[in-house]
Amino acid sequence: MDALFIISNAIVLASIYGTLAIGISITWSSLGLVNLAYGFVFAFAGYGAWLVAQHISQWGPVVLGAGIASGSLAGIIICALAFIPIHDKPNFTIRGLIATLAINLLGTQSLLWWFGPRSKSLPEIFGTWKITLPGMVLTADKVGNVATSVLMLFFVLRWMQASRRGLEIRAMMMNPHAASIVGIGVRRTAFYVMAITGGLAGLAAVLLSQTYYIGPYGGLTPMIKGVSIALCGGLGSVRGAVIAAILLGLNEALTSAFFGGQYVLITQFLFIIAILLVRPRGIAGILDRAREA
Amino acid sequence: MFQKEVLNVRGLSAGYGPMRVIHDLDLIVHSGERLGIVGLNGHGKSTLFSAIAGLTGWQRGSIKLNGIEIGRTRSQGPGRYTHQIVRAGLSLIPQGDEIFHGLTVEEHLDSGAYTQQAWRERAQRKERILEIFPPLKALLKIPVGRLSGGERRMVAIGRGLMADASLFFVDEPSLGLAPKIGKSVMDALMSLKLSASAMVIAEQNVSVLEGRVDRILGMHAGRLKGEAAASLAFHTSYQRI
Repeated sequence: MDALFIISNAIVLASIYGTLAIGISITWSSLGLVNLAYGFVFAFAGYGAWLVAQHISQWGPVVLGAGIASGSLAGIIICALAFIPIHDKPNFTIRGLIATLAINLLGTQSLLWWFGPRSKSLPEIFGTWKITLPGMVLTADKVGNVATSVLMLFFVLRWMQASRRGLEIRAMMMNPHAASIVGIGVRRTAFYVMAITGGLAGLAAVLLSQTYYIGPYGGLTPMIKGVSIALCGGLGSVRGAVIAAILLGLNEALTSAFFGGQYVLITQFLFIIAILLVRPRGIAGILDRAREA
Repeated sequence: MFQKEVLNVRGLSAGYGPMRVIHDLDLIVHSGERLGIVGLNGHGKSTLFSAIAGLTGWQRGSIKLNGIEIGRTRSQGPGRYTHQIVRAGLSLIPQGDEIFHGLTVEEHLDSGAYTQQAWRERAQRKERILEIFPPLKALLKIPVGRLSGGERRMVAIGRGLMADASLFFVDEPSLGLAPKIGKSVMDALMSLKLSASAMVIAEQNVSVLEGRVDRILGMHAGRLKGEAAASLAFHTSYQRI
C-alpha cells in the first residue's frame, strides 16, 4: 500500500463518482428533481451493456456506447413517468422524490425478476495491457476509466457551454422562472437533461463494472455516493461537484487502504458533515463570487 | 396610423389561489402603439402582464395575441404554456429583472433571441441592442451576477428586445434606479422603432410616461380606468391618428 497506489485509486474513484454526481447536480438544479431513480438508471445501463456484449459485440467502444445509450433511454423513461405528469403540481420536490424512489424500487425489482439474482460481468473493455512507471503499475482499466470519464465530462460541459440547448439548460439551472419568460420550454428541456444525465450514469455503470459486477441492486451504493458528492459540492455547481468528487475519492481510497472498505461510508459522511457545517451551501459556497439576487 | 390589433383581451380575470387580482378586464393594443399603464403598487399591473404570459395561479377570459387565442381558462400549472406564448410573439421584461446570475451578458442576449428567426439574426440584433445600451459593450463577457442594478436592468431589457416579438411588456423600467439612469433607460425604450409591434409600459409614476407614450391607462384595484391622463399624451396620440 504505497502512496502512489492510493492516489491512483482515488483518481479512478473520483472520476467515476464525479460523473454520477454531476448528473445528479444538473438534474437537481435545472429540473428541481432529486433523481432517486439514478440507481435504477445505473443498473439498467449495466444490463443494457451486458446484453449488447452477450449478443452483439464484445468490442469496448460498442459496449461503452450501449451503456450510455441505455442510460439515456432509462433517463427519458423516468422523465416521461416522474417529471412530465407532476412537474407543475404543488409540492413537486417531495412528489418527485417519491415518484423517482418508486421507479427505483419497481425498476430494480423488475431487473431482478427478469435477469435473476446472479450478477453479471462485462468484458474488459479497455483490454489487459499495463503501463509500468517507476513506483507504480497503471492497469488498462484504471487509465481507461479516468480517460473516458474525463473525456465524456469534457464533451458534456463543452456542449453545455457552446450549444443552444446547453444555454437553455444552464439558463434553467440558474432561474427556471426567467427561463420560461424567455421562451424555454421546461418539458422539452427536461428530456434533454434526463437523457444526458442518464447517459452519464450509463457511462459510470460501464466503467464501474470494470471493478465490480452488474447486479439489480448494484446502483444503490453509487447513487448514494453520487447524491452525497453532489450535496457536498453544492447542488447545482459542476465545479463544486468535481472538487467534492476528488476529495471524497481520496477519502475512499485512504479509508480502504488504512481501515478497510467497510468503513468508507462512515468516514465519507463524517467528511461531508464537516464540510456542510462550515459551508452550508457546500464547496460551491466558497467558489461562487456572484452576488445573490 | 394604427393598423391591426396586436393584443385583444376580453373579460380577463386572474389571480393566485383564492385571491382575485384582475377583474373582468378588457384591453386592446394596436400595432405601432406605445401604451402606458399607470397604477399604484399592488393594483395589478404586474399581475396583468403575468396573466397574459400565463404565469398567474389561475385565469379565465379571452386573450388574443395577433388573432391567436392564448388565454384559455386555466386553474393550475402557472408557467406551463408561457414558452409557447413567448414564441407566439410576446416579450416580457419583468420587474426585478429575472436574470440568470452565472450567464454572461452576451449569453443573456442570446437567450433572449428565442425564435428561430431571431436566433439566426442574433449577431445583428446584439449590435442593435449595444447601440441602444452602449455601456454593455465593455461588459459582454462578464457574468451578470457581478453587475450593478442599472446594468442588470439594461441587460434584462436588452434580452427582452432581442426577441422577435410583436408585443413588448415592460414592467416598471425605472424602478429602483437612480433618476438619471432611469431616465436613460426610458429614453432607450422610446428610441426603439416599433414598426409592426407594440409596447406596453407599466409605471407607478405618471410623469415618467406623460408626453412620451401614445396612450395612458390607469390601473386601479385590478381594473383599467379609461384614459387616465386626458392630457398632453392623450391629445398627441389623437393628433397622430
